[in-house]
Amino acid sequence: MIELTDLTKRYGKTLAVDRLSLSVAAGEIFGFIGPNGAGKTTTIRMMGGTLSPTAGAVVIDGIDMAARPEEAKRRIGFIPDRPFLYEKLTGMEFMRFSADLYGVGDGTFRPKAEDLLRTFGLFDWSHDLIEAYSHGMKQRLVISAALLHDPRVLVVDEPMVGLDPAAIKMVKDILKDLARRGTAVFMSTHTLSVAEDLCDRIGIIHRGALIALGTTRELKRLAQAQQADLEEVFLKLTEEQAPS
Amino acid sequence: MNGVLTLLKPRLWSFLNGNVARDREPRNIKWLLFGGIGFLFWAGIFTVFYRVLRYFQGVEGFGDILAYKLLSMVLITFFALLMFSSIIAALSKFYLSRDLVLVHALPVSPAQIFLARWIESTIDSAWMVVVYSLPIFLSYGIVYRAGVLFYATTLGALLPFCLIGSALSAIAVVLVARFLPAGRIRTVFVFLSLVLFVILLIAFRMMRPEQLTNPDTFASVLLYFRSLETPGSPWLPSTWIYDSLRGALSGNRAGALFNLALLWSGAAALGYLMTWIAGAAYFPGFSKAQTTAERLLPSRQGRRAASAWLLGFLSGPTRAFAVKEIKTFTRDQTQWPQIFLMIALIVVYLYNFSVLPLDKTPIKTFYLQNLFSFLNMGLAAFVLTALSARFVFPAVSTEGVAFWIVRAAPVSIRSFLWVKFWVYFLPLAILAEFLIVATNLLLRVTDLMMILSTATVLLMVPGIVAMGVGLGAAYPDFQSENPAQAVTSFGGLLFMILCAGFIGFIVILEAGPVYSVFMASLNGRGLALLQWVWLAISFALVILLCVLAVVLPMRLGERRLKALA
Repeated sequence: MIELTDLTKRYGKTLAVDRLSLSVAAGEIFGFIGPNGAGKTTTIRMMGGTLSPTAGAVVIDGIDMAARPEEAKRRIGFIPDRPFLYEKLTGMEFMRFSADLYGVGDGTFRPKAEDLLRTFGLFDWSHDLIEAYSHGMKQRLVISAALLHDPRVLVVDEPMVGLDPAAIKMVKDILKDLARRGTAVFMSTHTLSVAEDLCDRIGIIHRGALIALGTTRELKRLAQAQQADLEEVFLKLTEEQAPS
Repeated sequence: MNGVLTLLKPRLWSFLNGNVARDREPRNIKWLLFGGIGFLFWAGIFTVFYRVLRYFQGVEGFGDILAYKLLSMVLITFFALLMFSSIIAALSKFYLSRDLVLVHALPVSPAQIFLARWIESTIDSAWMVVVYSLPIFLSYGIVYRAGVLFYATTLGALLPFCLIGSALSAIAVVLVARFLPAGRIRTVFVFLSLVLFVILLIAFRMMRPEQLTNPDTFASVLLYFRSLETPGSPWLPSTWIYDSLRGALSGNRAGALFNLALLWSGAAALGYLMTWIAGAAYFPGFSKAQTTAERLLPSRQGRRAASAWLLGFLSGPTRAFAVKEIKTFTRDQTQWPQIFLMIALIVVYLYNFSVLPLDKTPIKTFYLQNLFSFLNMGLAAFVLTALSARFVFPAVSTEGVAFWIVRAAPVSIRSFLWVKFWVYFLPLAILAEFLIVATNLLLRVTDLMMILSTATVLLMVPGIVAMGVGLGAAYPDFQSENPAQAVTSFGGLLFMILCAGFIGFIVILEAGPVYSVFMASLNGRGLALLQWVWLAISFALVILLCVLAVVLPMRLGERRLKALA
């Protein structure tokens, strides 16, 4: 469902992402972890079509992002790490805006939007301006809007930032449910317990390059730390790659 | 004091870092361009004042009175400008800047934060007034052959003058912010100032100053001159600076020094009072500013049906952006006073045409009416450029940090820009046509001129709007706290220069052939073959220029916006 081939991004002389190749199947939850500045957000933005790669390709559901960006984006639900929104729209208007963009029909929009807003505890505020929302409420609204068009691929950058424990549990349940129904989920996170708990496979990125890829068990074997948790595996693998 | 200096360092360092940024070369070009234009304005002000003062010196009996009255009026205007810009700057610096939450969490007192912010706000609001007042004082110095005393007094008086204006504004802002949320005050202040400006503008226009050229009304002008000698209020700081400068100009050293002392002691006393008031009222006001203001107008869910019906014919993504654009625009209260100002200016514009004394001129009325109508095409396009500079050019920048939504949406940058184009093109085209038809009716022009001017304006509007959207996309500022200020950037300047050139070219291309058509019809003969060819080439070039004005900026904007990623 998601194919990244030799994906590379340079910012001037800085190599942010270095020939990254991986694939995520339908129904899989893929975790993308790495230290600060490793290239996670850059990769995610290239996948979401908000940043063009210097080289390489992003293919979503068989569609090349560079060749047919609108078609590819229509299949993605994109959730960025910071919920910047149109502050002068109400929550419901933002949902309507997203529905119009992604081609959700008038007939299905209202019940679906109301259902999502209820699920995320925003229904009572749906006619208030977004500028009055807290950070967590904005994050929940972004997630609601991203799910409105039943995306085949969900690309999420730090999904749990700013959410309260109840919302975190709810998002985890929703991601699991989406994967069960065939959605491919690609998420970056610093919360390693979430990655360990949720992801079928995990990729570790360090200095722009993928240094490890596999299930939690495979990563432990790679790090020769069978009894350790993901945090220790992560630290061991990234330390090994650090310059001496 | 150390705390205050530390708080000022980020501003200073950011400024210095700006000069060693990666894009140094374009930055140097921008500085050169802005510097060049700024210097031209400076030199222009000097030239105008120098010539006016020389002219006044030649007016026997009244020359000095007129020159001093002009100085007094300039100083009052400067003081009003200082107060106004200080209020706007202080509101933003004290209560609305994004970094305030971080700054208030630092181990420094609110009084230190206030003082550091006040210094920043004073510099921001006063530097331009100071820079552009210098050519005026210089022209007075040269014309009156003033000595060192005048120049020293000028420099010594300007600083306390600015400090007084800024301190008075800060006191007003801190006191009002104690009771009203800061976000609302800005709208109220801007609105009240604009109402005052519009009232003055309309009052001045209704006085019909053009009648002063009529000898019958000249007697009243003499009476007016008598009133010029009335001294200003002794409580106004502008009177103190005026008296000190007048004293220095006329060699009255004691008077100059006494008023200079008044300015400095007034600034010191106000500084003390401001610090005392801020100590008691600043932090509570800042806390109040953190709460979200209620919506000025409550939402009415019934409106959805009406807007959906109006925009229902559009495709999904286009409708999404169009609805978003209209709603965010109409709900942004900072836009309202400016729309109000624009309406007032348009009313005055139309009124000017209604009072043109066409029948009293020695030139043939028929010729003059059509000449005015022709010039009016250019004027209407300039009005449109001003509107576009304020509303269309910042249209892409107003997406701000939410621009990721556009990038992630299944909509191409090209479609996004064309939606912006159409959202602004339709109202501006209607407005431009209204202006041109209304003024033509007031001028009672010929049918040919009516058709020509409405068609030309209709051709120019897409070009101006496309240049606004396209150049706004080529030079976006998504991080600005006030995207409307984007027009003061390099891109904004480029937009205005290109629009002026575009309008000028169109008017020049049409002027020659249209003149020959008029002369031919006046003389009752037909056009020669060569004139027909000239007419055809000119109008073909007009159409080509209008098409290029749409296509090229839109392509440039699309390319630059895509390259941002």
